[in-house]
Amino acid sequence: MDTLDNSEWDVVIVGTGLRQSLLALALSRSDKKILHIDENDYYGGAEAAFSLQEAEEWAKSVDESSTAAAFFNTSVTKPDLSPDSSTPQLSPSRKYSLALSPQLVYARSALIQSLISSKVYRQLEFLAVGSWWVYTTSSGNQALREPISIHQTDSIRGSLLKVPSGREDVFQDQVLDFKSKRALMKFLRFISDYEEQPQEWKKYEYEPFTTFLIERFKVPEVLHAPLLALTLTSASSDQVSTMTALPRIARHLRSIGVFGSGFGSVIPRWGGMAEIAQVGCRACAVGGGVYVLGKGIAGEGKYSEFDGKLRLKDGENITTKWCVRDHAPSGIPAASDNRSVTIVSSDLAPLFPSLGEEAPIPACAIINFPSGSIPVEGWDQERAVPSVQIAIHSSDTGECPPGQSILYGYVALSGAQGSQLLKKAVESLLASVDITPAPTILWSLQYEQRCIPVNGSGSLHMTWGEGMLTFKQSQFDLAFDDRILDEVKEIWQKIMGEDAGDFLVFEDREPDIDDDD
Amino acid sequence: MADSAPTQPKPSSSVKLVLLGEAAVGKSSLVMRFVNNDFQENKEPTIGAAFLTQKCNLPTRTIKFEIWDTAGQERFASLAPMYYRNAQAALVVYDITKPSSLTKAQHWVAELQRQASPGIVIALVGNKADLASAGGADSSDDADAAPAAEGETNEEEEGTDARRVATRTAKSYADEESLLFFETSAKTGQNVAEVFTAIANAIPETSLKGPRGVGGSTNLNRQEDARVNLAGTGMSMPDKGCAC
Ligand SMILES: Nc1nc2c(ncn2[C@@H]2O[C@H](COP(=O)(O)OP(=O)(O)OP(=O)(O)O)[C@@H](O)[C@H]2O)c(=O)[nH]1
Ligand SMILES: [Mg+2]
Repeated sequence: MDTLDNSEWDVVIVGTGLRQSLLALALSRSDKKILHIDENDYYGGAEAAFSLQEAEEWAKSVDESSTAAAFFNTSVTKPDLSPDSSTPQLSPSRKYSLALSPQLVYARSALIQSLISSKVYRQLEFLAVGSWWVYTTSSGNQALREPISIHQTDSIRGSLLKVPSGREDVFQDQVLDFKSKRALMKFLRFISDYEEQPQEWKKYEYEPFTTFLIERFKVPEVLHAPLLALTLTSASSDQVSTMTALPRIARHLRSIGVFGSGFGSVIPRWGGMAEIAQVGCRACAVGGGVYVLGKGIAGEGKYSEFDGKLRLKDGENITTKWCVRDHAPSGIPAASDNRSVTIVSSDLAPLFPSLGEEAPIPACAIINFPSGSIPVEGWDQERAVPSVQIAIHSSDTGECPPGQSILYGYVALSGAQGSQLLKKAVESLLASVDITPAPTILWSLQYEQRCIPVNGSGSLHMTWGEGMLTFKQSQFDLAFDDRILDEVKEIWQKIMGEDAGDFLVFEDREPDIDDDD
Repeated sequence: MADSAPTQPKPSSSVKLVLLGEAAVGKSSLVMRFVNNDFQENKEPTIGAAFLTQKCNLPTRTIKFEIWDTAGQERFASLAPMYYRNAQAALVVYDITKPSSLTKAQHWVAELQRQASPGIVIALVGNKADLASAGGADSSDDADAAPAAEGETNEEEEGTDARRVATRTAKSYADEESLLFFETSAKTGQNVAEVFTAIANAIPETSLKGPRGVGGSTNLNRQEDARVNLAGTGMSMPDKGCAC
């Protein structure tokens, strides 16, 4: 560009992550003069998607010295693959599109509604999330809590049990006895309109969900893990409250069948939420928004009295009515989670059973490792181990070549214990799938992600002068959290004021677009 | 060619195509010719980007181009990556009266080869061929030839001719880099449809509707079968599949 120096804007959006890009989309038909910048030389921020090489560069570039950076403790592991042609090999870098944000979106999510009403869904492709699995070890619960030394761990072989995805599944289940089935059906009936029956659960609100299941519905223990798996929380089983679990399980069940039988959630093709972020930016650019990569604002966090003037890192001064950016570092030590991305030399086909004749081929499977199913070295037994989630993406996502798959792991546990737990979960998963030749790990990335705890009270723009708006950085959640959209809407409303109109409702830009979908 | 045949049960697939090139070389004009068969003498520069679609009927299938026309002005340079990501085809345009625009085009080709999907089909297009004197160009009437035939160009293109980039120069560069190559005129319509048809033909059948570049190609039917339709039946009421 010529230069941005002395330019004037209505809105400057800093960062091209999902939130900022959804805001860009929301503003794309306004007549606001928008500058959208990102200090990285790629789009997507914390929701980017990378080729192998880009992922490795990203891992190196993560600022380990900063206690405010969203990511830290990154490491890439490449097992020594013998160049022998009979062993599986990594494909070239650009055959991969690895997602930093491999989230699934429930069919009933407000995000889906917004993508449709804003018409950008036409530029996206969605794939079905198929089966949900729970990992169990045959040794029984008792043994699971025993701390097992790391030297003897490699040989435990567990198995994966499929979570029933509907009434018919429950009835056909071979493992459950009649009494259990009845208890489960009763619970499922309750949850279909649990909001209407507060008397049933209010007093268990803060109690562990498992207590509620036992006392209220006599749901046997074997069914606790599958039901907890549907909540997608990584907290340990004794820490998932009834209040947390009910809406999440309801969200899962209510989404099933919306887009086809047998599944209730979808993932975007081509690299998770990166694709949705990109579509937002594209729409804003078509609306005249100006995009500049490799530009950040200077003086992080020094805008407590924002007066409309911004200085960019390379010295340019600009003015703007509004500036929207990520949550600034606050000094409060943030919690962190461990995440991992693993490329595996197998399509893991047994984990993607057909959803039925009319249904789409599933491209994602969710594996839950309940609290304690994976031993952690040196764990104090006072509290239960957090559960681990792994989302497996098939090559249909375009994230890896055919014949391989990507495992995205997540555990709400920081430090070496968290990363050890994730590694073991991946190994246990691969050992429990019956495939010859046995699947091997071709490449893996581990990292920690900081999250600023979101307490309901926090206003979006408390410490900033009028005009400087910030997004929160919430904890990673394997399912897209609709509150993100609420946040975007709140900021959009503030910027648009009186003439806001409907949020994310647009006509097709091209009047004669044909509906061949 | 485009959009004329009646609807037949031919397989139809969409192809994401991005236009890149220096400002004012005629990217938007080429798209306007292809989509609306129209031309504007003083077209205003593109701000940001534009999105258009157009169908292209081939003997065995229909290709629906999803065209992203980007702004060539330097201040929009950061836009390109968000459009060529996952694109299956790129049209890199220069102006045959402006040598600097070929240099810029070569930069774009290099960037695409480095950053875009490995299988992307790239066409190099020298536009404004109408400004060359008739003898100077070689691709004017050979309508059904695929990439412009090498040859007849004579090197004495000076005179009243505004051409400053010899066909041969660009053509040999295109051959070296395995690009499709055409000289076009958005003004007269010369070769415009041919560029898009050639691109449509160059897209491997296996990659249609399949992974656009990343991940390589998988079976076509499988790709169709995996796609979830958000717009159709959805979003009304959950049907029988519901567990609640
Ligand atoms: N003589 C002639 N003029 C052309 C041709 N194509 C485009 N032009 C003219 O060249 C000018 C620029 O054309 P555009 O289509 O706007 O160029 P662009 O590449 O889209 O420019 P940006 O959007 O700024 O990147 C306009 O005045 C067009 O009328 C052509 O084939 N022949
Ligand atoms: Mg243009």
